[in-house]
Amino acid sequence: MGKLTFSMGGIHPHDSKFARERAIEQLPLPPVVYVSMAQHLGAPAKPVVAVGDRVKVGQVIAEPGGFISAFIHSPASGTVKSVAPRKDLAGNPVVHVEIAVEGDEWEPSIDRSKQLVTAIPDDKAAILDRIKACGIVGLGGATFPTHVKLSPPPGKVAECLIINGSECEPYLTSDYRIMLESPKEIVVGAAIMQKVLGGCRCVIGIEENKPEAIRSMRAAVAELGYPGIAVQTLKKRYPQGGEKQLIDAVMRRQVGSGGLPIDVGAVVQNVGTALAVYDAVQKNMPLITNVLTVTGDRIPGNLQHNYRFRIGVPLSFVVEQAGGIPDTAAKIVSGGPMMGKAVSNLDATTVKGTSAVLYLSEAATRRRPETACIRCGHCADSCPMGLEPFLLNRLYKAADLEALEKHAAQDCIECGCCLYSCPAGVPLLDNIRQAKGQVMGVIRARAAAAKAAAEAAKK
Amino acid sequence: MTQTIIWTVAILTVLGLLLALILFWVARRFRVEEDPRIDEVEKAMPGANCGGCGFAGCRAFADAAVKAPNLDNQYCPVGGDEVMQKVASILGLTVEKKAPQVAVVRCNGSCTARPRTNEYDGVRSCRVKAALYSGDTACSYGCVGCGDCVEACRFGALSMDPETGLPVVDEAKCTACGACAKACPKHIIELRNKGPRGMREFVSCVNRDKGPVARKACANACIGCGLCARTCQHGAITVTDNVSYIDFTKCKLCRECEAVCPSGAIHGVNFPKELDKEAVKKRIADRKAKAAAEAKKEVPNG
Repeated sequence: MGKLTFSMGGIHPHDSKFARERAIEQLPLPPVVYVSMAQHLGAPAKPVVAVGDRVKVGQVIAEPGGFISAFIHSPASGTVKSVAPRKDLAGNPVVHVEIAVEGDEWEPSIDRSKQLVTAIPDDKAAILDRIKACGIVGLGGATFPTHVKLSPPPGKVAECLIINGSECEPYLTSDYRIMLESPKEIVVGAAIMQKVLGGCRCVIGIEENKPEAIRSMRAAVAELGYPGIAVQTLKKRYPQGGEKQLIDAVMRRQVGSGGLPIDVGAVVQNVGTALAVYDAVQKNMPLITNVLTVTGDRIPGNLQHNYRFRIGVPLSFVVEQAGGIPDTAAKIVSGGPMMGKAVSNLDATTVKGTSAVLYLSEAATRRRPETACIRCGHCADSCPMGLEPFLLNRLYKAADLEALEKHAAQDCIECGCCLYSCPAGVPLLDNIRQAKGQVMGVIRARAAAAKAAAEAAKK
Repeated sequence: MTQTIIWTVAILTVLGLLLALILFWVARRFRVEEDPRIDEVEKAMPGANCGGCGFAGCRAFADAAVKAPNLDNQYCPVGGDEVMQKVASILGLTVEKKAPQVAVVRCNGSCTARPRTNEYDGVRSCRVKAALYSGDTACSYGCVGCGDCVEACRFGALSMDPETGLPVVDEAKCTACGACAKACPKHIIELRNKGPRGMREFVSCVNRDKGPVARKACANACIGCGLCARTCQHGAITVTDNVSYIDFTKCKLCRECEAVCPSGAIHGVNFPKELDKEAVKKRIADRKAKAAAEAKKEVPNG
């Protein structure tokens, strides 16, 4: 098979993977860590520690707050100083557990050796339990609890496990580095998930701009010899890492509006998640570290890093360790330049899904002044979901919710291709995101009303 | 030639009569029976079609009013009591008097009091901005200043003050329709009773952060110290989640809370005289001393 990609829309901004040659360094521990209780999609976790408690590295400090939620473990050993709301990245209050770091004492059950364990346990339920107990969430960005994704609803069968190594956003190199430095662990992690899903085939998709990663992963797959795992080269195209786009690229199947990947027999997991699954199942290591890239445009090489960080380290500490904020930086982004969030508060802490600290210069980040739409259609051409952003923008302004739903505003994946490609600087994504929220509200209200009506009819 | 004209005129006349007959029949046959009171009520309405009553417009309000058994659930905030009395008399119903209300902006984080901590470069829309993050100051609760409320107001009663960066309500124009309160993503606009001669007392802050955090973000923030609640003699003030709230149905406008507030978050408006804080504080101190003396007297006896 040649290089694959998704069938509709997409853009390729630029590579700018400046930090690709930087090996992963261990970020030291700060004096204090703040562990957020809302690090995953779904209900926030409930803290189970109190002020004054002594905790070890890897100890459970919060339990899932609902079905879609996750355990949270202490990233450091020390004393709990407070369990209180604190401002997150966007400045909104979220409950954090504050731990004053003392030494580095680990839970004895965690295997910290580098020894590769290739024998996969037989009991699927036990594997799932371990993944859940270790608080593993999807590290590709959405932080959806992994054990939920690996438990397809009854009647649905996974035909293909796709491991997402596309890392299609510019600048980011953390997934690239782990594919170079821990390829075998990733393959074992993939094989574990493959087993849980009932032995379906597994495709590791990597974009063509990372040939070293493709070679490294191919070698690991060949050496370990698990059946049904293949590495697939993908064309470089954003947003290839989007779940629906990746399924389209690899399986040539389209997930319908409002559908889930499992509806077409697909389960997508990030390479980072595969590594975390390996650590959890083979080493009993909970998700307390992740890899992030510190990079940006027009910044010197000595400020570019790939760090393995303990989750809960404040961003200000990361920035300080990486050599401070460069003079050219006008904006700091957490995550990639396309879908990442601007950091308005450096006191905010790192979470499970943190993938980058990005310094963007004034030129790279300043918005163009908005001018009139010239109906060139670039936005519609670039939309990977086949939507018509210019139309949705107009319908949002007219507050026509019915038409917005008809034109599938709710299918927007907020990738930002429309905004990127618009020559008139129209804030398409900003408005469509609002429209999506409103339409989702209507859909949810309707579903709730239908449920209530069905229950009333039963009585 | 003449004949052609005669024929034309004749055919057109017959055709006209025939169509008139059909129209007459259709009008009789398919007439929509509508309560004439709907028109009457609609005429009594202000005709702003603002939706402040919760209906799609004045006609929808009139339609609902005519069909409803009583007027308990309907109120036209724009027309107020005067219009509601008229509506009630047309329908032969009674309606209770409601105090006139006005929109109140519960944020006083002006540019000088609330320093900007970052720069916002996105769409000038409060809703978009609030969806992205908590705003360009360290206060996560206050006004984000893009003027969605101004845009929502159909009566031109709101404007942004360029000096403070906050919306200002023109009381003469505000009809308390509530469109601004709905448009505000931060929920800082509240409809409150206008008060006698427009005098009213309110906490102009909704920051739920703890005192020091709130104070750091904004010099005018309510720090939830509870001094106002302890001072209030009428039980009108409650402090929940580190922010104080004055119940306008209980407030007696004594202005003691305003005098003791350490951060100036409590505002009194339309009072004839400026508040003499020292005099009010002295009054409170005297009262407390008296109460303490009485308590002392009582202890040996009891």
